[in-house]
Amino acid sequence: MANRKAGTPMLLAVLVTVAATSASAQSFRVQCPTTTITHPSALNNNNVEPAYTGPTTLAAGANGFLVPSANVNGAIKCQQISGGDGYATMGDGTQTYMFSFGPLSGLADMAAGKPGTQFPGVFNTVYTGATPLQPGDPATTVNALGAFTYNGAVGQVPDQDYGGVIDGHVDPRQMLDIGVMNGNIPAPLMAIDEDDEFFLTLSNVGMIMRPDLFEQHTVHFHGYPNASAFYDGVPDASVAINIGGSFTYYYLAPDAGTYFWHCHISPPEHLQMGMVGQIYVRPRQDRVSTTTTLLSALQQQQLDLRTACNSDRDILCSNPLPAVDTGKYGAATVLQGGTSGYAYNDGDGSTYYDVEYPIQIHGFDPNFHFVGMTFNPEGFADMKDKYFLLNGRSYPDTVTPGPLQTESADGQQHFSQPLPAIINIPAGKKALLRISDLDVTEYQTLASLGIPMHVIALNAKLLRDQAGNNMYYNTNSITLAGGESLDVILDASDATVYKTGQVFYLYTPNLDHLSNDAENFGGLMTEVRIN
Amino acid sequence: MRAMKMKNTISQTRLFLAPMVVVALTAAAYAAAPGITVGTGTTFKLTAQAAYITQPDGQAVYSWGYGCDGAPGGYAPLAITSTFCNSMQIPGPTLIVTEGQTVQVTLTNNLPPSAGNTSILFPGFDVTTTGGVAGLLTQEAAPGSAVTYTFPTTGRAGTHAYYSGTQGDLQVEMGLFGAVIVLPASVPANCDSGLAAANLVAETHWHESDFRLAHAAYDHAKSCYDREYLFQFSEMDPDIHHQAQAQVAAAGVCTPGAAGCSLNVATEPYHPAYFMINGRSMPDDMDTNYAAQYPHQPYNGNPHMHPGEQVLLRVIGQGRWQHPFHEHANHVRILGRDGNLILSATDPNSLAGPLLFTTTTTPGLAFDGIFYFTGRGLNWDMYGHNSTSSDPNAILGCVPDANGYNTGAPTAINYYEWCQDHNKPLQAAPFGDVAAGGPVTLPDPNILTNGAWYGGSPYLGPDATVRATGPTGTTPPSGTIANSPGGEAGFAFMWHSHNEREITTNNVFPGGMLMMMLVDSREFVIDESN
Repeated sequence: MANRKAGTPMLLAVLVTVAATSASAQSFRVQCPTTTITHPSALNNNNVEPAYTGPTTLAAGANGFLVPSANVNGAIKCQQISGGDGYATMGDGTQTYMFSFGPLSGLADMAAGKPGTQFPGVFNTVYTGATPLQPGDPATTVNALGAFTYNGAVGQVPDQDYGGVIDGHVDPRQMLDIGVMNGNIPAPLMAIDEDDEFFLTLSNVGMIMRPDLFEQHTVHFHGYPNASAFYDGVPDASVAINIGGSFTYYYLAPDAGTYFWHCHISPPEHLQMGMVGQIYVRPRQDRVSTTTTLLSALQQQQLDLRTACNSDRDILCSNPLPAVDTGKYGAATVLQGGTSGYAYNDGDGSTYYDVEYPIQIHGFDPNFHFVGMTFNPEGFADMKDKYFLLNGRSYPDTVTPGPLQTESADGQQHFSQPLPAIINIPAGKKALLRISDLDVTEYQTLASLGIPMHVIALNAKLLRDQAGNNMYYNTNSITLAGGESLDVILDASDATVYKTGQVFYLYTPNLDHLSNDAENFGGLMTEVRIN
Repeated sequence: MRAMKMKNTISQTRLFLAPMVVVALTAAAYAAAPGITVGTGTTFKLTAQAAYITQPDGQAVYSWGYGCDGAPGGYAPLAITSTFCNSMQIPGPTLIVTEGQTVQVTLTNNLPPSAGNTSILFPGFDVTTTGGVAGLLTQEAAPGSAVTYTFPTTGRAGTHAYYSGTQGDLQVEMGLFGAVIVLPASVPANCDSGLAAANLVAETHWHESDFRLAHAAYDHAKSCYDREYLFQFSEMDPDIHHQAQAQVAAAGVCTPGAAGCSLNVATEPYHPAYFMINGRSMPDDMDTNYAAQYPHQPYNGNPHMHPGEQVLLRVIGQGRWQHPFHEHANHVRILGRDGNLILSATDPNSLAGPLLFTTTTTPGLAFDGIFYFTGRGLNWDMYGHNSTSSDPNAILGCVPDANGYNTGAPTAINYYEWCQDHNKPLQAAPFGDVAAGGPVTLPDPNILTNGAWYGGSPYLGPDATVRATGPTGTTPPSGTIANSPGGEAGFAFMWHSHNEREITTNNVFPGGMLMMMLVDSREFVIDESN
């Protein structure tokens, strides 16, 4: 204990020193350009998703590369996260120590269970609340019955050295106030659209409870096709950001699908300790107008070699034109910006959903977490999870609406588990479950007691053969290892069968996983409610 | 606190020391899918024997494995010339045959007499047996005796597992498993024309040998490949091996069947501490095939490839657990499982196997899959071209083919470049001779930690990396010892079990089921001949 208290101020002193001496040496900083080569603001409003009518028109530019000349698709998206530590509350009430990521942008959205990903117009706003950002916020402000609406990048301040412009210069005090000991499980939710450029800034705020560690953290975008080694987040194969610094990951959004992300530093340790999160990419098909058929939109995508899927030429693409033309048009409900959409560019409307739920399976070994907090060497081979988590929660917390909060060692309440795992389906509608698994010890099975699971995709790829036949299948259980994802549609569209008020269960038939450590009730289970 | 600090120091030290060992021992340590053939003979002569295999924590683990009973008829691929097949190895010798050939395997049981009978199962093949004694699943070889298995291979192209059919909970755990690769009888014409032919031109231009066993995995036009690797996943519980060793020693030279001449090794509860690819744990798996220091673990796991090459992965789950094998950098198209090609129900010319970024390995199950990396869609030029440079390599052209790649110039460094991003900058204001005006600013190198396989810059290949980091800029960063900025500068990706506790060796990270896959620019020569 003495060590911990001694270490904390020392670490903070180091951080502040680094920040103070580095006007141009780039310690903490964020990046979210408002215009880029791919998304020139002169041609495109980068703060909305434009409709998809066909490929971006490219023309030879002055510097020897292609530049958009018209019809720009996608926008710019930005997000900031902290890498550090924190606490979460388990289903039996235990507070568990974590190495973890926390939100440093989109705080209000994340508290509402939404992704923390923002357009530049939101990300690049400066906090102007009446009181400064408080440790624990948004929980601190909300618990004091205040309103918390800020979604910008925490720390973002005008750069007075350059006339007060917003250029990514930050006030590290705000970032430390919010970012320290503010871990989330799962880590902040990210969502981008195909054709977006995504700027993800990871700011390493240090692990206050472990002042003996000077660990880097990284973000591995798990499953990204044609990833670059530099931005793949594997510290052995790239660079990793030290405490007191920020690293901005850059990707053009890959093909639509349910991916996930995690730290790749000493993975058996950092993943078990909680550095796991969710990311998904929405398809172009979400931006197809109601007067355009989905098939013709997919045919448009074939005209750009980056977005095309020609099975005779590319063995690693999964959405060739569908074998059957369903004649469906872009759905009005999707364009209205509600909760509905398509999971993939299917061209036939078969992956339509009314509501979507990202669900991440994980497991915590309380012994490992205890050892991880107490400076002892950790064993890996006999790691055994005792808490089985859906979105960082065990039943019955899975069905608690709103964010779960946990008091950290700083005495403040933090929104430690922002995402409920309850599945609410409006009567007569379809729910998309984006299921990913980052358990580091064993395979876990999730079963549906009632509504069949309609599996439409594995590992962020549509289940379709090269001849265009959909290979979807129905099942009542799916089994995943850590490192896998799949997409399931729970189809409650037959309102005569699935009636308002009915409750079904998603639970694990690994019966020993229906427990919260010593309590033999709980675990990997949640409810599906027909509203 | 002190203990924890020590653990951390140890892992850091290991992380950097381990690859140094690799580099010191071998200049090139690549993989291919090596194995043995019958040559001009008719029979694979195998033996089952005991020996010690080594693990990176310094342990020599008492194990049983199949090996060669005398010199094999031949080795494949022919481009690997430094080969051996000892009388015990883990995995057992990879048996490479061509479809249509009748395979005959004679197994002699040279295990300690107290170990009792042993055998081999060839799942998926129609096996007839000669000699031996009756066992539960097949005819077995009694201690000191032999049994012969014969099976046809027509219609069985692909990768298959073989393993002991006698007391499998002990014998497979001890290491009695291996692979059969059946090469297709006919290779589709398109596997030797078009891009496949162009890839071969590029290979020849850079004086690379062809390490393939065949040019297609199946008798199917969509199973062509340019490079191939075989990975067998298994795990070991050292307690079981210790028990076996002690009981074998206690029984000594005894008469099989006599009182006391048997083993009673508990194989449950099961607590494996070693997680291996091809019988080796990381970093040993990245040493060469047939490295002298592993007389009983000749096969490695150290994949390399150039952009655009279609890479065949032959993967087998051995042992008793499933392992989620995660391939960083792209998906894998599953071609088939256990030699059964998965095709569309409506079109025999179309594949229907799933695309996976995590390919679970399941005990006894083999799969073949195709992987590639091109960098398509990165939205920046990974070769760091710079149209304003005076360096000829910075201003290479890129002429898109029908797929958008620069394949018309197979001898160019940027052969197979994704042309839509040609010359497009990554960095806003880069240091060196790469294009400027891009979307990102890289952090100050002083607040970064470099990985041992970091190529030294975001860019691919030594030419681009030297331009990006020197001579006008900073020197290439320190610590990048396994993928030198001036020599290789590949894109390194981790291929590993995503049950992350399995990327440890006896509780120490890093280790276990982990290897680095390198995508190399064309000017780097991939030499798999150890």
